[in-house]
Amino acid sequence: MFTIAVKILIEDRVKYIGLLIGIAFTAFLVTFAMSYFAGFMTRGFALVSENPSVDIWVMDRAVSSSEATINMSDAALNLVKSVQGVENAVPLYMQDMTARFPNGHFQAFQVIGVDDATLSGIPKIKSTRDASELLHIPGSVIVDSGGTSDKLQTPKYMKDSYPFDGPHLNAATRKLRFGDTLLINDKRIVVAGVSQTIPRFPPRPLIYTTLSNFKRLTPSQVKRLTFVMVKIKSGSNLHLIAQKIQKQTGLKALTSDDFKKQTVMWYLVNSEDVGDMVNMVVLAMLVGFGVTGVMLYMFTQDNLKYYALLKAMGASSKQLRVMIFTQVFMSALIGSGIGIGVCTLVGKLVANGDFPYRMMWFSPLFGLIGVLIVSITAGLISQHALKNVEAEMLFAS
Amino acid sequence: MSKTVLHCKDIVKTYGEAEAAVLALQGVTLDVYRGEMMMLVGPSGCGKTTFVSCISGLLDFDSGVCDILGKDITSMDTEEVVAFRGRHIGFVFQSFNLLPALTCVENVALPLTIANADKAQSYTKAKVLLDAVGLGEKYDSKPKHLSGGEQQRVAVARALVHEPDLIICDEPTSSLDHQTGQAVMQLLQKMKNETHITIIVVTHDNRIYKYGDRMAHMEDGKIRKVEQLG
Ligand SMILES: Nc1ncnc2c1ncn2[C@@H]1O[C@H](COP(=O)(O)OP(=O)(O)OP(=O)(O)O)[C@@H](O)[C@H]1O
Ligand SMILES: [Mg+2]
Repeated sequence: MFTIAVKILIEDRVKYIGLLIGIAFTAFLVTFAMSYFAGFMTRGFALVSENPSVDIWVMDRAVSSSEATINMSDAALNLVKSVQGVENAVPLYMQDMTARFPNGHFQAFQVIGVDDATLSGIPKIKSTRDASELLHIPGSVIVDSGGTSDKLQTPKYMKDSYPFDGPHLNAATRKLRFGDTLLINDKRIVVAGVSQTIPRFPPRPLIYTTLSNFKRLTPSQVKRLTFVMVKIKSGSNLHLIAQKIQKQTGLKALTSDDFKKQTVMWYLVNSEDVGDMVNMVVLAMLVGFGVTGVMLYMFTQDNLKYYALLKAMGASSKQLRVMIFTQVFMSALIGSGIGIGVCTLVGKLVANGDFPYRMMWFSPLFGLIGVLIVSITAGLISQHALKNVEAEMLFAS
Repeated sequence: MSKTVLHCKDIVKTYGEAEAAVLALQGVTLDVYRGEMMMLVGPSGCGKTTFVSCISGLLDFDSGVCDILGKDITSMDTEEVVAFRGRHIGFVFQSFNLLPALTCVENVALPLTIANADKAQSYTKAKVLLDAVGLGEKYDSKPKHLSGGEQQRVAVARALVHEPDLIICDEPTSSLDHQTGQAVMQLLQKMKNETHITIIVVTHDNRIYKYGDRMAHMEDGKIRKVEQLG
């Protein structure tokens, strides 16, 4: 009966291929949408990802994402260091600052200050020199587009730099590079390198610099410490130490994974953009599932006459059920396979560009499970339809 | 005295409900005996198809008695009826109803496949029957490559393959030209004579009446008379 079911399924090649394409399209749509979403979320916790050696992040108790932060007193660093099991702890400063380009144009940056001695938190730079050498230059910073485009433009010609007659906003520009200067709070900073770290969501240009330079740029600030990045002693229990830090310091301590999770949750709850995106994804899925369901249903509906015949010849409802579900599952699995395969290829192509795409394990799984649920539903409905038809169909001339 | 294969008494069947109700069978009483070919004739809409659907358990009826091979089909549940039908009844339809996806052998073997019979044995049996209906060359052809007459012969082979006790044919010759129709009827007659199977043939075609042993005349949902033929 299994073989017969398969033969009936593939008898009409055109219809069968149409069905497969329909299912593949749905699986593609769902997997792609999920990966797109995962891509955005990955950008949302880019700060955590670009510091893979950090075990535990310590922050103010009110903070629940790497996106919205409030600072702690510098004293927190020593409190954390004093917790048993902590191998080392380094500070991270974070603050939005507006920088002025030489032509007078201005741009908001997220400025990240890292420990002078270790430079933990500095991303890889496109340079033959080491970050420690480059940031040794007084007032030096590393700039990063952070997923934006054309935001790091400085005037091309000397005549447009720091002009006497006010801003030259329409001046010809070029990309920032080594040696270029900008102003933050009227203090000069020098571009020592350009990095290309994980793009941010939402996109924003970044400046990385040392704590001492950070302090120079924000002289009147009282609290600057945003995170303490902890490395634990090898062999100690991650969660246990996080709990310990939390208890001893009264601060919030999260493992990197937990921090990523909380950040994603925070986006889901707080970000309207993400909310819209989720709606779009859900809509796309519903449309895809609807189309798949209807196609599968129509397919079995077309074959109803054959099922009626088999039933007349003594096929039990169990046998018919096996046949319908053989057909449904075979289409669903092959169709989803194609869809997810294509999605992987397309994903590879777009991920090379500046596109937020990340196919995590759950994306194709979600696509597959979605298609299967729809298929089972369509199969059940078809099976139900079988109860009412039989006699007339067979005796019709 | 022949043994009764089918015993029907006062079968009533209504389609639809209330004002839309159609009284298709108004108390049908008929006995059919082993080894005979019963022709069931009557004007269009008199209830012939409804009757054969009811006695084969494809359609529930409102009231009356229907015993096949001494078994009361109203006393069986749905799955039992299906299994009983698969075991004891074969069908030949006006529109052949072969599965286009299957070859002739596979189509003929279908009742055995459904009964989970051994595949090799089923196919051997199917081939013997295809030889018998003169389609020895067409084992692996698909129905779409066969003429109407050939398709109906495949259907006859399929109706016989599981050695049922009763074959129900609804207008078996209506989709065929005169000669092909005669050939199919001769085939059925030959099978009947060889195996003593019981056959009910619903038909409009007075040119095939001669193959029957008896003929039941149906009118307005009732059997008006049953006559002996030949
Ligand atoms: N599914 C149905 N719903 C409602 N009425 C039906 C249905 N099937 C048949 N009928 C009605 O029942 C009556 C008997 O129909 P049936 O098909 O049994 O006649 P028939 O003798 O086989 O006719 P024909 O020679 O044209 O095949 C007709 O009046 C028909 O309109
Ligand atoms: Mg009829």
